Amino acid sequence: MAEKILEVKDLVVEFKTDRGKITAVNGVSFEVFKGKTLGIVGESGSGKSVTALSIMRLIPSPPGNVAGGTIHYRGKNVLDIPLDQMRTIRGNKIAMIFQEPMTSLNPVFTVGNQIEEVFELHQPDLNNQQRSEKAIEMLKLVGIPSPESRVNEYPHQLSGGMRQRVMIAMSLACEPDILIADEPTTALDVTIQAQILELMNKLQVEMGMGIIMITHDLGVVAETCDDVAVMYCGQIVEQSDVKTLFNNPKHPYTKGLIDSIPSFDSTAGGARGRLPTIEGMVPSLFELPQGCNFQNRCKSVTEKCRGPHGEPKLVETKAGEFVRCFHPLT
Amino acid sequence: MSEYILEVNNLQKKFPIKGGILGREIGAVNAVNDVSFKIKRGETLGLVGESGCGKTTLGRSLLRLIEPTGGEIIFNGQNIRDFSSNEMREMRRKMQIIFQDPYASLNPRMTVGGILSEPMDIHKLFPGKEERRNRLYQLLDQVQLPKDALNKYPHEFSGGQRQRVCIARALAVEPDFIVCDEPVSALDVSVQAQVVNLLMDLQKELGLTYLFIAHDLKVVEYISNRVAVMYLGNVVEVAESSELYGGARHPYTKALFSAIPKPNPNIHMDRILLEGDIPSPMNPPSGCHFHPRCWNATDKCREVYPENTRESATHDYKCHNPINL
Repeated sequence: MAEKILEVKDLVVEFKTDRGKITAVNGVSFEVFKGKTLGIVGESGSGKSVTALSIMRLIPSPPGNVAGGTIHYRGKNVLDIPLDQMRTIRGNKIAMIFQEPMTSLNPVFTVGNQIEEVFELHQPDLNNQQRSEKAIEMLKLVGIPSPESRVNEYPHQLSGGMRQRVMIAMSLACEPDILIADEPTTALDVTIQAQILELMNKLQVEMGMGIIMITHDLGVVAETCDDVAVMYCGQIVEQSDVKTLFNNPKHPYTKGLIDSIPSFDSTAGGARGRLPTIEGMVPSLFELPQGCNFQNRCKSVTEKCRGPHGEPKLVETKAGEFVRCFHPLT
Repeated sequence: MSEYILEVNNLQKKFPIKGGILGREIGAVNAVNDVSFKIKRGETLGLVGESGCGKTTLGRSLLRLIEPTGGEIIFNGQNIRDFSSNEMREMRRKMQIIFQDPYASLNPRMTVGGILSEPMDIHKLFPGKEERRNRLYQLLDQVQLPKDALNKYPHEFSGGQRQRVCIARALAVEPDFIVCDEPVSALDVSVQAQVVNLLMDLQKELGLTYLFIAHDLKVVEYISNRVAVMYLGNVVEVAESSELYGGARHPYTKALFSAIPKPNPNIHMDRILLEGDIPSPMNPPSGCHFHPRCWNATDKCREVYPENTRESATHDYKCHNPINL
């Protein structure tokens, strides 16, 4: 069994808004193991990014507030660490890659500067010379051609895929234990996406970090993750290893998501049947229904789901397999 | 009436690059470079390619929202490139477009009723009050929005519903042909399938012809009868969509398909990993534009641009060393 490096337990994150308080993350628990990848899937607004940001302690407060739960990194609750000491962990032990490589690099500094800044903060005993050598080394590691000259270029001189490589280089500069990748390839073309996923995979094997892969693309999940948590309206609705999730989805939402992806093996071009869909849309977090959050879109909904018994609990059906549903599929 | 609703011959769009203190033209971006294709009445032609390959420019040039710099666009038997702007406005009643971003393409200060009425006002359709109201209800019904949507503003809708409003606006003037420019890319997975189904239903019901532009091959392959693959301003392969997945002859098409992550953890495919990025269209590589990233490239590819090869009546490609099937 791989070493457990991160344990999130019953995490609750709330935001105050003009229209009242919403619970963006509601009782989320998961574990991350060394050298393994955990996928968090969900549609926009399901709370996946907020979960990631709370691990980094980057939830803006106010309006946000971690209202409950614990996040243990190697036995220490990061929520108890004073913010100034959090810096020794953030970017050093736990690093993050953001979705938009365009907006998350500073346009007025060279990429070399920005990578060197990481070393300045976390490895202050290095001198200038060593820092710039290490920056070049990082660029080489992420497969940027002629790193010696690229290091002096500004973000606008690089393509989207190259910028995302620079982001990865920055996040891996201190050889973190955990890498949180928040939709790392969503803004990229498929051929570039394939390059970046391949690169992350290779670096994980070399450096042995645990990865949290946040995405809405089930294809990316199937190809990169060992375990998967599916989120809906701030809660995990299903969690298991990746093969079980795709072969035997137990939550109707998971099954709906998997079915609604067009596949190539479908026959005859053109005049195809309709795609299976999940009807309706994600309810607003201000108006969550009584009972199960998914009831209005669910095909196997019954009276029980509509409230009298409260909301369904996340139940362990088999070791390592969890589902939050009164009528799980078999 | 001919079998083809739209015929595009050698269409070109060059964007000039100006520079220097005199602002003289110092170069050009060949966004669309000698593209020819035909679309049959009632069919869907898919158009795929990576960002910057010219697919959106091509889509907009067909309606002359971007003025092409060369070639012919023959719509319903008439070359619309010769049309005056008044004639063109009249013509756009028959050709409409749906844009990618449903957040940016609806005026936030207009109600849905206003948005849907505007195109009908311009073309003086359904002028009577009663007639107009019935038409608006009919449109909402066609895109499965409730009647009370008429008095709401775009911000009151989710992304998927806004895209339905955009579709209703395109349908308002009873077009024959719609350019769908990445209509589902900005939507969540579960909503994406709903909109794809809606577009397919409307096509059947109203006999529409689509040019469906997207970078998501899975969706394009699903909705289209035929698919054209673009690379750096050129269409490099066109085939029936059922033929393209297994029978791609152009290495780029093959690589594109192979790059898509498969939502199935049980199969592990050997992936063709393309090196490098798409070259800049300002300064495209010599010969075949794809040669720097191609694993089959030979000296010939570096020097000569490949001519069109006809594989079958429905399958064309441009490659010196096509993949053997």
